[in-house]
Amino acid sequence: MKELIEKLSSKYELQEVTYQRNNLVFAAINKDSAIDAVTYLRDYEGYTHLVMMSCVDWIEEGKLQLLYLLNSPSQKNDIGIRVYIERENPEMVSAHHLWKSIWTYQRELREAFGINFPGSPRIEENFVVEGWDDMPHMLRDFDTHEYAEKTYFPRGNRKTNDPAEYMRAKLYPNQPVTAKQRKDDK
Amino acid sequence: MINKFLGFKPDEKLLPSKTVTPDTEIDLSSHKYQKIWLGPNHPGVTGNMAVELTVQGNTIMKAKTHVGYLHRGFEKLIERRLFVQGFPTSIRMCVAEPDTNEYLIARCTEELSGYADAVPEYANWLRMLSLEMARLAGLLRGVPGQGGTFALGIGVQWGVYLRDLILDRFEELTGARVYHMYIIPGGVRGILPDGFKERMEDNLRDIDDFIIRIKKLMFHNSVFKQRAKGLAVITPDMVDKFGIVGTNARGCGVKRDVRKDNPYLYYDKLDFDPPTATDGDVYSRTWVRWQELIQTVDLIRQIMAKMPAKGDIRAKMPNVLNWKIAKGDTYVRLESGRGEYGMYYVTDGSDKPRRINLRGPSYNHAISVLEHMLIGADVADVHAIMVSLQTCPPEIER
Amino acid sequence: MSFNLKDILTPFTAWARVVKEPVTIKDPFTREANERYRGFHDNDVTVCIGCGSCEAICENQAIDLVPVEGIETKSGDSGLRPQVDYGRCCWCALCVDICTTDSLRLTNEYTWVDTDADNFIFTPGVTEKDWYSKEGGWRKPGAGYEFYGKERVHMEELHADERKDSFIEFVKGYSAEQAKKEADRCVACGICTATCPAHMGIPEYIKAVREDDMEEGMRILYETNPLPEICGRICTHKCEDVCSVGHNGDPLSIRWLKRYIADQIPADLNTYKDILGTGELAKNGKKVAIIGSGPAGLSAAHYLALLGYSCTIFEKLPEAGGMMRYGIPSYRLPYDQIDKDVDYILSLGVDIKYNVNVGTDITLEQLSKDFDAVYTGTGLHLGRSTRITGSEHENVYQSVDLLRDIVLGKDVPVEKKIVVIGGGNVAMDITRSMARLQMKKYGEVNVIATSLEDEDHMPADREEVVEAREEGCTIIPGYGPQEVMITDGKVTGLRVWKCLAIFDETGAFNPKFDEADERIFEGDMVIESIGQGMDLSYLSDEIKSKIEFGPRGRIVVNEDWQAKGLPWLFIGGDIIEGPDVIHGIANGHRGAQSIDKFLNEGR
Repeated sequence: MKELIEKLSSKYELQEVTYQRNNLVFAAINKDSAIDAVTYLRDYEGYTHLVMMSCVDWIEEGKLQLLYLLNSPSQKNDIGIRVYIERENPEMVSAHHLWKSIWTYQRELREAFGINFPGSPRIEENFVVEGWDDMPHMLRDFDTHEYAEKTYFPRGNRKTNDPAEYMRAKLYPNQPVTAKQRKDDK
Repeated sequence: MINKFLGFKPDEKLLPSKTVTPDTEIDLSSHKYQKIWLGPNHPGVTGNMAVELTVQGNTIMKAKTHVGYLHRGFEKLIERRLFVQGFPTSIRMCVAEPDTNEYLIARCTEELSGYADAVPEYANWLRMLSLEMARLAGLLRGVPGQGGTFALGIGVQWGVYLRDLILDRFEELTGARVYHMYIIPGGVRGILPDGFKERMEDNLRDIDDFIIRIKKLMFHNSVFKQRAKGLAVITPDMVDKFGIVGTNARGCGVKRDVRKDNPYLYYDKLDFDPPTATDGDVYSRTWVRWQELIQTVDLIRQIMAKMPAKGDIRAKMPNVLNWKIAKGDTYVRLESGRGEYGMYYVTDGSDKPRRINLRGPSYNHAISVLEHMLIGADVADVHAIMVSLQTCPPEIER
Repeated sequence: MSFNLKDILTPFTAWARVVKEPVTIKDPFTREANERYRGFHDNDVTVCIGCGSCEAICENQAIDLVPVEGIETKSGDSGLRPQVDYGRCCWCALCVDICTTDSLRLTNEYTWVDTDADNFIFTPGVTEKDWYSKEGGWRKPGAGYEFYGKERVHMEELHADERKDSFIEFVKGYSAEQAKKEADRCVACGICTATCPAHMGIPEYIKAVREDDMEEGMRILYETNPLPEICGRICTHKCEDVCSVGHNGDPLSIRWLKRYIADQIPADLNTYKDILGTGELAKNGKKVAIIGSGPAGLSAAHYLALLGYSCTIFEKLPEAGGMMRYGIPSYRLPYDQIDKDVDYILSLGVDIKYNVNVGTDITLEQLSKDFDAVYTGTGLHLGRSTRITGSEHENVYQSVDLLRDIVLGKDVPVEKKIVVIGGGNVAMDITRSMARLQMKKYGEVNVIATSLEDEDHMPADREEVVEAREEGCTIIPGYGPQEVMITDGKVTGLRVWKCLAIFDETGAFNPKFDEADERIFEGDMVIESIGQGMDLSYLSDEIKSKIEFGPRGRIVVNEDWQAKGLPWLFIGGDIIEGPDVIHGIANGHRGAQSIDKFLNEGR
């Protein structure tokens, strides 16, 4: 796959090139040239099969990472193109002219991460959560535990004990303690 | 004929158009067309998925797939679990063949943490065995299920019974019938019990008999042939445009099989050739799956003959409560009964995964391909088309 | 549509099944699930220790630890037992796979019908259920399957040939990789903390080793223990005896991990103060006198200094450390490591006066006037004698005296053949020390150690006995000394009889011997190491009249470690409980807290 990376890097600026296995390589391309690179790979290098399109939320860095994973049925290897976009009002060029199946992925990403793909067919339609009015549910700052506690009625008669804390209360309640135990006391 | 007798000549402009293409104009208020919902009541092997049809008479003008009845948020839930805790949640993402999910999560964590080669040989053979048994269980329901959509219910009865026998074998090997929770990062969770091979061979003999009976029932069946031949044709140029994989692709001659293209486990040591057909219609796809049934039985026999008699079942790995994996990502795929099944797994240096994203074959088959196939199809054939594409909604919505 | 007769008639072959036996199972409810089936829980509550590993691994948070009536909390058992919520459980059996004591299992029962939904939260093994007697079900798979490492990472030591003639430290210590691997085995249950006399935050500092955060580890150590280098080498590690991993594997090497953390921090006082945040300590103007610079005294001084008190330690011997320096040989605890810990405590503003004997150089009454409170931790420095015939001879020594003399650098008598009476750690210390001195002087070892207890019940640590034998010493347990043989005014040996029992029916010390099994151990000197006693000569008669004495001559103290009758006198260390270093450290800490409470509430 090294030849492919060399060819690709002569046309586009590649970053974070990672050879994960001998048949899988990842590379990051900037947002403006990403669709161009994907089209080039599809038309000239034989990566005709779109495996999936995915997204990862790197909330610490304030970025969303898109992934276009392409497979070449003839060479039997994969290349993953990573694209970093801003987390605030994210938007990306639609690729629905390249594959007839990618609009579903884009529709899901719109609902799950809030990424807009202007022009993608049926982009406004919800995918799996009908009537959802909260923030995009796959973002890291959406706390599912908190949502579940707020929305549903848990059976409230469960209480657990920490063995170390319990033993302290029973066996040596008045003795000097570590900072962690002092914190747990409060 | 009656109209000629009565001398009544209707205005052609008021009738719905005879030709149907994706671009045909549909004006719902003209009362030429009607919207009906199919599903999401579980019609058997297709799963909980609704299709919103716009029909004129019996012909479908437009179809929209509605998923979302099975969204449980598993991908988000797994982000809150330790690496070893992920697998019981992940298997519920696909009901028909849960072992594929277990294997993918285990393989991804092993690859990212550097233990990919540390898995013992015996464990890998057992993994192969459980994957092939899962494929067998899925096919035993899927192959006669196609007949079921044409009201040929008897094959389904036979298939479900034999699948139950395979579930008995699973219970013996893994400790549960449907959700096995057997493959774990590092290895598997149990040795092959004594006498398993003999009991399995008994079941396989029954299945051999079933294979011949199904052939007589379905493939030498005039009704089945009339209905299935020529229905919902997939052409080879559609394969890459829509991302069609697995038996759907092989049904039209495009030979794609992960076990041959990117071999995993010990598939390169086994002797098999993925079957293909040329017509690309429902009949061909069913015929390919039937061939695959024969092949899976043969593969299981080969695996049981070639696997070592004993060995360790799990590699020595870090303490599961304290296990942290460095930042990285990978994509692992395998061939499930329905096609290429893969998982994109991202870690960030903590003890929980950052993101897992499952790629099920039905993601494309049930939405893009189905909506395309249904245009111009007959309402009565909708189920048949859905089953022939092997739509499995749990893996679409996770 | 082509007319094909074969295609029309062939499907009818399915009718052949009409005559076959139906495959429906008429009664599915009595079907016994397979023996590996994962069904409902059962827990052996007598074996379970309530460690909580099952709760930690349950991915659905279905398990809670709850107290159970009739099961008491004690050392090594938290008294809690798992309670499972079947509304959440998915029967994955991860809890069974990680159970440290193998007490939790899944039976193969799968039917449970109930009208009350709250009944599905139950405590396996406690709530009455009829499937507990089922034999089948999921158990740990075996064949190399384990969730945490069962074997301890081996600690490298100098080989016996290299160490038997030198007092160099022979335990090498863990490397970073070994320490991380050993720390990885911990399941963080926390049961060890209750057993440790000082209640150290053990799971927390093991986590610091895993995460390679030595500064945090040091901070956690110093919260409860100001002598980590020392304890990391010679602590009696009661924690390791109750480690939950130790039930089905080797317990964690908690002591060596403590040593690893302390070893990573260099012996620089500024580094210590930076890490522990003790650069600037405000003083509150009150003064405390501390008698004895053993573990109790040093620990009290450390914690009192942190609270702002000005402490002065009065030490009888030329250097600080008490029994740690003068009782433990340097091949187990090198002097520079003692200095490392002691120097930091002194740098907090603690004053120490060496070679000052309280009682003779300065009286206790004087201390009570010059200081606001007095803490005494004078320890057990007097040897106890067997008082057998001949034990008054000048060549019959006390092990404590010899060990002290070795440290003081004095000329210690080393004869060609030595007999040691005693089977505890101190006896092993003197045996191995004399063996080394014999190697240096004569080039060969001839030391025999004997004890009343037989091989399996020797009070010394197992590794001490094993290592002593590796170094050439002879250990013959199970014999009781009867007479020191003296010929021509010189000691020639020890006559012993086989010991049949040590205690009688009432539990009192009343050994029984078999006179027929008599042996003579040859020796030119005999060393007694059967126990130690306290030297309370610094208490004047007037003071003694005010306080009370309890069993074995120990001063009676209240729960705040104050002497009953003299509220300004606080007592700790071996003279109250133990005897070991970690008890002294714990006492010192609690004594410091009690002194603080006493001085802030008014005398």
